[in-house]
Amino acid sequence: MVDSYRPKDLKDALSIRAEYNPQPLAGGTDLMVRYQSWSGTLPLFTKSVMFVGHLKEMKYIKKEAKDKTVTLVIGGTATLTDVANHPDTPVVLKEAVLSIAAPALRNNATLTGNICNASPAGDSICALYALDAVIVIEKSGSRREVPITEFITGPGRTILGPDELVTAIKIPLKASSVNDFTKVGTRRANALSKLSFTGVADYKNGRIDSIALTFGAVGPTVVRSVELEKKLIGLSGPELKAMIPKVIDDYSTVIVPIDDQRSTAVYRKKVALNLLEKYLKELSSHE
Amino acid sequence: MKEIKFILNGKEVSVKADPLKRLLDVLREDEKMTGVKEGCGEGECGACAVLKDGVLVNSCMIPLGAAEGSEIVTPEGIRETDKGKCIIDAFGDAGAVQCGFCTPGMMMATEALLTINNKPDESEIREALSGNLCRCTGYDLIVKGVQIASERGKDLW
Amino acid sequence: MVGAIHELPIKGWIDTKGVKMGARISIPVRRIDAKEKAGGWTKYIGDYQFKNLQHGRFLRSERARAKIIEIKKPDFPEGYYYIDASDIPSSGKNNIQMIKDDWRVFAVSDVKYIGETIAVILGPDKQKVLDLLNRIEVIYEDLVPAFTFDDALSCKGGAVYGDNNIFSEYLLNVGNVDNAFKDAVKIVEGKYETGFQEHLYMETQGLVGAWEDEKITIYASSQCPFYIRKSVAVTLGVPVEDIRVRQTTTGGAFGGKEHFPDVIATPLAVAVNKVKKPVAMIYDRIEDISFTSKRHPSKITIKTGLDKSNNIIAMDIDTLVNGGAYESSTTIVLQRAILHGIGVYNIPNARIRGRAVATNTFPSDAYRGFGAPQGLFAIEMHMSHVADELGLDSSDFRRKHFIKTNDITITNAKMHDDVKLPEMFEKIDEMSDYSSKVKEFANDPVKGIGIAFVNHGGGFTGNGEQAIIKGVVKMKRLEGGKAGLYVSVVEMGQGLQTTMRKIAAKELGLDYEDIVYDNPDTDIVPDSGPTCASRSIMVVGFLVQECAKKLKAKWNEGVGVEAEDVYKHPDGLVWEQETLQGDAYPSYGWGINVIEVEFDPVTYEVKTTGIWAVWDIGVAIDETIMQGQSSGGVIQALGYASIEKCELKNGTFMQHTMADYTIPTSLDFPKVETCFIDNPYKYGPSGAKGAGELVFDAAPPAYAEAVQNAIGKRIYDIPVTPEMIMEALK
Repeated sequence: MVDSYRPKDLKDALSIRAEYNPQPLAGGTDLMVRYQSWSGTLPLFTKSVMFVGHLKEMKYIKKEAKDKTVTLVIGGTATLTDVANHPDTPVVLKEAVLSIAAPALRNNATLTGNICNASPAGDSICALYALDAVIVIEKSGSRREVPITEFITGPGRTILGPDELVTAIKIPLKASSVNDFTKVGTRRANALSKLSFTGVADYKNGRIDSIALTFGAVGPTVVRSVELEKKLIGLSGPELKAMIPKVIDDYSTVIVPIDDQRSTAVYRKKVALNLLEKYLKELSSHE
Repeated sequence: MKEIKFILNGKEVSVKADPLKRLLDVLREDEKMTGVKEGCGEGECGACAVLKDGVLVNSCMIPLGAAEGSEIVTPEGIRETDKGKCIIDAFGDAGAVQCGFCTPGMMMATEALLTINNKPDESEIREALSGNLCRCTGYDLIVKGVQIASERGKDLW
Repeated sequence: MVGAIHELPIKGWIDTKGVKMGARISIPVRRIDAKEKAGGWTKYIGDYQFKNLQHGRFLRSERARAKIIEIKKPDFPEGYYYIDASDIPSSGKNNIQMIKDDWRVFAVSDVKYIGETIAVILGPDKQKVLDLLNRIEVIYEDLVPAFTFDDALSCKGGAVYGDNNIFSEYLLNVGNVDNAFKDAVKIVEGKYETGFQEHLYMETQGLVGAWEDEKITIYASSQCPFYIRKSVAVTLGVPVEDIRVRQTTTGGAFGGKEHFPDVIATPLAVAVNKVKKPVAMIYDRIEDISFTSKRHPSKITIKTGLDKSNNIIAMDIDTLVNGGAYESSTTIVLQRAILHGIGVYNIPNARIRGRAVATNTFPSDAYRGFGAPQGLFAIEMHMSHVADELGLDSSDFRRKHFIKTNDITITNAKMHDDVKLPEMFEKIDEMSDYSSKVKEFANDPVKGIGIAFVNHGGGFTGNGEQAIIKGVVKMKRLEGGKAGLYVSVVEMGQGLQTTMRKIAAKELGLDYEDIVYDNPDTDIVPDSGPTCASRSIMVVGFLVQECAKKLKAKWNEGVGVEAEDVYKHPDGLVWEQETLQGDAYPSYGWGINVIEVEFDPVTYEVKTTGIWAVWDIGVAIDETIMQGQSSGGVIQALGYASIEKCELKNGTFMQHTMADYTIPTSLDFPKVETCFIDNPYKYGPSGAKGAGELVFDAAPPAYAEAVQNAIGKRIYDIPVTPEMIMEALK
């Protein structure tokens, strides 16, 4: 049996976190399953727990404009349903969120919780990697912001300090004309991912101005290669089209999935590359 | 052990329990609300669905401490309301009920759906029920039950 | 006449598309249990309050095959117990009396599969029980386990069963197969495999044993209260009358609560016998998926010989099913698999060798269809492959070989049924537009359509209803113009509480709500047999109809007057059990499914875009209930055919949560368009035949054929996963 805390506000939460380092619990949809024990007994948490889902200061989604960039800020206790319903949520994130589980779970699960859970198969994480999401981390008296790619360090691992909380997620709202989020699940709905793919890109003056390609559940973390993406910047549609086989080859070296109870490594790799190819073909036909 | 208060089916209740106890167990054991069923204990099947502050949630995934101060509605809280009776009658007439173990959760999902969309089409109904698993019916007659409830209950929601 | 039938308020849902329904009994009523279940009033085993309830959990084998060297136990505090084989009374035995009694109540000195019961740990506090369980250490000496068919046949690690790992072997033969093959101008061969399937009833396994009135009472989520009574009595070595079993409303079963509850009830009874307190053994979901029986995997090889007119002149089939570590009902499952092995066809020279093998996997057991889905999948896919090999239309080829009334079956008897497959094909063709879609999709890169034709024998195999079961039903006139119905078959979701009342009410001229039919209690109801084998309506329902006639004749004798009816085998049927010769089943249900799919060449995922089903179940006792059976059976079967993957790795099921063992959701498949044709059966109530398993049989091969037509590659195995499709297209 472990202790639990219910802070009255964010300030209180940060001081409890600093003093006792409890495990933050927002919706509970990941943690209650991870620590599930025999029905009718307490979940087997290994350390104390702090409830944060009720903290109203973090239950918001808002737009912020600064130096010509507009950012969507998703508060630490906004649920997946909140994210899906917000009109400014980027389409790939909306589709990713709606591909997760079913309404009852989305009503309770938070986007922040998804990120802190840091599953390589996290569908929202796949989209957030492509959207250059930034994680807002606070502790009593200080605050830092880190890109999601640096925040997540491995399966289930993040850089979050024992005295810190994730209080928001920032998503720069950029022009993006060709968007795709595809989840390949174990069934057509209410499914866990075998793999997922996100592609976002934009053209300026007939040339690719920005592009992000990410893959979920095909490595220990979501896979994104900025280096390979850079090779595509500045290409025209026809130039991209000609390069597709080469791009697929390049990506086949960074996608290294495993076999597990949901799928096979061979399938994951093949389909990830198929999805990439399909997206690039689509992209190359736009300008 | 802590004393935790929340609103259950419109009445304030106070439960003395570990805040990490699953809301599902609190409802079934402490409050004898056995209309809430345990099908999987991992948020997959929806048999334990309740309303928390008006939205559908799985009570197996919510620790009691996270429900403090919330308004919780179980099947017992809606089955004798006009809406609850409408859904139950519609399920009965459609043939939506077989073994019945998933059905109270289906009723809760239907209530949640009709609250936000009182004229759902078939695909919206199937989407709304996608977190409530049923092994008997193949869902067709449950979908029909929701359609009947929506037709008959158009003034209720 | 039918008393006060409530018309379905919304018209047009049960779309029979102009096909005449049989008697008025088919008109739907509102299910008697609908309201109480929908509103959550109905109590299931986990909902009852027992005073001083103790909670039990099994100590299970963690090894697939090993000797137990030592079991190190912590000290048990007051009120906590460790129950094992040494607690079985000397009059009893450490065997579970099911169809066979080889399954042990508790493993002693060795273990044969992962999850095998070694002991029960029980006490008042669940957490303390769990803590005690976690502190027990079992020291094993590992032996070499056998898991696959090849392991079993080569007796890897030494035989698990007997001296050759063969639980049972049969050889069925009609005509002269070897001679016929000599005349064949073409031979086509194929090997077909099916996997495990988990029942995934929404209510997990659960029983409570109590010491009441100086005897053991078992409250059980179960299909067969009398099976439990018998097995508990044998284990404890007491007369059956000393055991009382009360069925609690059962949240789905599908065969999984036919024999398997005995595996829980017997150690539970040993515990209750010792502690004399109520003890609950209620599985949670992970335990249920990990440690309950599954559908038998199968491997079936079929060789077909054809003459120059493309007629099948010979067929040779080799059927293997994996029974796991104990035999239980495996031999009967094998019988059904081979008795349905040539499907709905008239094959003049056919031979089927069937073998059930032992392995160190969790014992396989009953699951809706009981072997028939495996046999039917293989023959239907094979017929499709033979047609493909010959360049013929798959449905035309199969229809040309349909069995007809009075043709000779694989058991050398006449087919007595009035076979209406041709009319049924016309109907489904009209509903689904099958024939034109076959042509339309022939060159379509992503769309496919498939069809399957099946039958399913109703009731126990051969003369089992007479020789083994001899079902009895009783009825009684009650106060207030009501009648009591006493049968041992149970409601488990299939609608029996309603359909049985309708059958009785029709004869008595009462409203169906005036028939009293409670969950069976072995101290009250006679043994009408188990709830399985699609027998409840056809066999027990017929007894209810006949019993109600008798009660009606005596009705005026006043309140309390009783009537009874006992099973009599239909005249003219013969059966030889040892050799499986004669009339294998008193009658068959018949069915055709058409499935339409579209596959995604990028992800290899398959989307089902249309499902049609036509059934001959004699007469529907209730059209809505049968619509529910059709939709439910077909969707469960499509899960088996597509997404329900259950892989065994080193003796453990890899998919052991509901997240990983995926059953269909409301979004996986579209509506099942269903139609019933009328074909009354003389020995069924109002002409009804068995239906509960039939509705499972046709969808897997129809789906697999649709996928193979979509991708242009033959399918031999289910489940057909996207991974498999990718490999096929390589």
